[in-house]
Amino acid sequence: MEQFGHRDQCAIAGIGATDFSKSSGRSVLTLATQASLAAIADAGLQPQDVDGIVRCDFDVVSHNDLANSLGVTDLSYWGACGPGGAAPAGMIGQAVGAILSGQASTILVYRSMNGRSGFRLGKGRSQELTGPIGGNGTYEEFFVPYGLASPGQMWALLAQRHMQSYGTTSEQLGHIAMACREAANSNPGAQMADRTMTMEDYLASTMISSPLRLFDYCLETDGACAVVVTSTERARDLARPPVLISAVAQGGSRDMQGGISSPILMRPDPMELPSRRVAETLYRRAGIGPSDIDVAQFYDCFTITVLVQFEDYGFCDQGEGGAFAESGAIRKGGSLPINTSGGNLSDGYIHGMSHIVEGARQMRDESTSQVPGAETCLVTSGLPISSGAMILRRDS
Amino acid sequence: MSAADRPPPVTDDPDTSGFWEAARRGELAIRACSDCAHVLHLPKGYCDACGSWNTEWRVVAPTGTLYSWTTTERELRPGFEPPYTVVLVDLDDAPNTRLAGLLDGRPELRIGMPMRMVFEPIDADTVLPQWEPMRGPT
Repeated sequence: MEQFGHRDQCAIAGIGATDFSKSSGRSVLTLATQASLAAIADAGLQPQDVDGIVRCDFDVVSHNDLANSLGVTDLSYWGACGPGGAAPAGMIGQAVGAILSGQASTILVYRSMNGRSGFRLGKGRSQELTGPIGGNGTYEEFFVPYGLASPGQMWALLAQRHMQSYGTTSEQLGHIAMACREAANSNPGAQMADRTMTMEDYLASTMISSPLRLFDYCLETDGACAVVVTSTERARDLARPPVLISAVAQGGSRDMQGGISSPILMRPDPMELPSRRVAETLYRRAGIGPSDIDVAQFYDCFTITVLVQFEDYGFCDQGEGGAFAESGAIRKGGSLPINTSGGNLSDGYIHGMSHIVEGARQMRDESTSQVPGAETCLVTSGLPISSGAMILRRDS
Repeated sequence: MSAADRPPPVTDDPDTSGFWEAARRGELAIRACSDCAHVLHLPKGYCDACGSWNTEWRVVAPTGTLYSWTTTERELRPGFEPPYTVVLVDLDDAPNTRLAGLLDGRPELRIGMPMRMVFEPIDADTVLPQWEPMRGPT
């Protein structure tokens, strides 16, 4: 097997997260600082050891804000990735690239948001704009005047299409919501830790944008997550077992579209999502395939987002995502337990960053829904504009 | 909040203004390459198929088929009173080229049904191309 350049060369040496809530009462900078300090301490390092910072393009906290807050004294590299939820895997990819090219040695990767008490992404990026909408490459003039403004509506249109094409059902989407909720019920830190969900509960939840219901939608969360990335060699000398970054990949669709979110509906085939290409690249770089994955953290802004990824990441055939969802495979004890902290749907919505933290926990035997003996974890980031994913591996 | 509170589209963007100019004339126009006829949608000025910067606004039939739809039951922004239904329609004259539309309430719809465009003036200068199900025998 061809050895890909970055395979297993870098590792996650430390992880950190704040509490997840509806109202943090703290600034986004404070949240970012708390998660970062936790990740740095977990690695057994000091803020002065950090020489690189990578952020999400939607984050209101910039690299210099965070460096100042933490007391980082020798910042030599920074970068940003996006858009939004597509960022986290790409952020890790930037950190890996910077480390392997000698631009930095210890890189902090973070996402911080007051996603419920502050700016609520679910209402759409244009929510605060008044007057004529669109132009300047946003293409929003073709969507917002028609009431099409939110990611939930965009995914509802894709879900409707998937249902029509393949016979996918609401109950099958419900199994994804329930798998995430079941994991959250074991995770005391999850926003939905104490709220159980039956199929009856799921089906009775209010319709938001048909065919998607309230429980098909992710949470809105105030909180932050951070990880420290360094070389595997160095990580082996630090405080915690290194979580190897076996491979990372980003990708777009064959037919890209400008703008954010809704314009993807105008691609020649909106159902051909970037995750399909990311998966091909990722598995090639890691030198393994879907049957080698022990546990997965799928980006889950909506249940349908997870269902299409089952297909694109090769866990079932195209159109069989619904059958896979209801097969039991994705629940605790199944062949591919998913979103073992509860995911965006039931743990908290940190725009995909909590998925990386939870993936690392699985590789360190620290998950509240630990998959016994798990050696590999797939972690995906947001879609459908573009996407990214990574495979984490236990050090051997 | 009423329809008067709905945000109007920007109609003077250099890449997309031809669509809105056509709508004011009661026509549906899509941007296309003048040299190789490749459809450039959403509208843009450079043809990635042949490398040409020569583009035109091609008038096409204001008819299509329903690609997908969603009925929104929660208020997202002022001016759009729920329930309302967003439709995506594939144009008959341009394969895999589609546009959105807005219908009140929860209309009976099915993917693949024939649709036709109606031109809705929303102010003195702006006409919003909209879609409605085609009635009667088709």
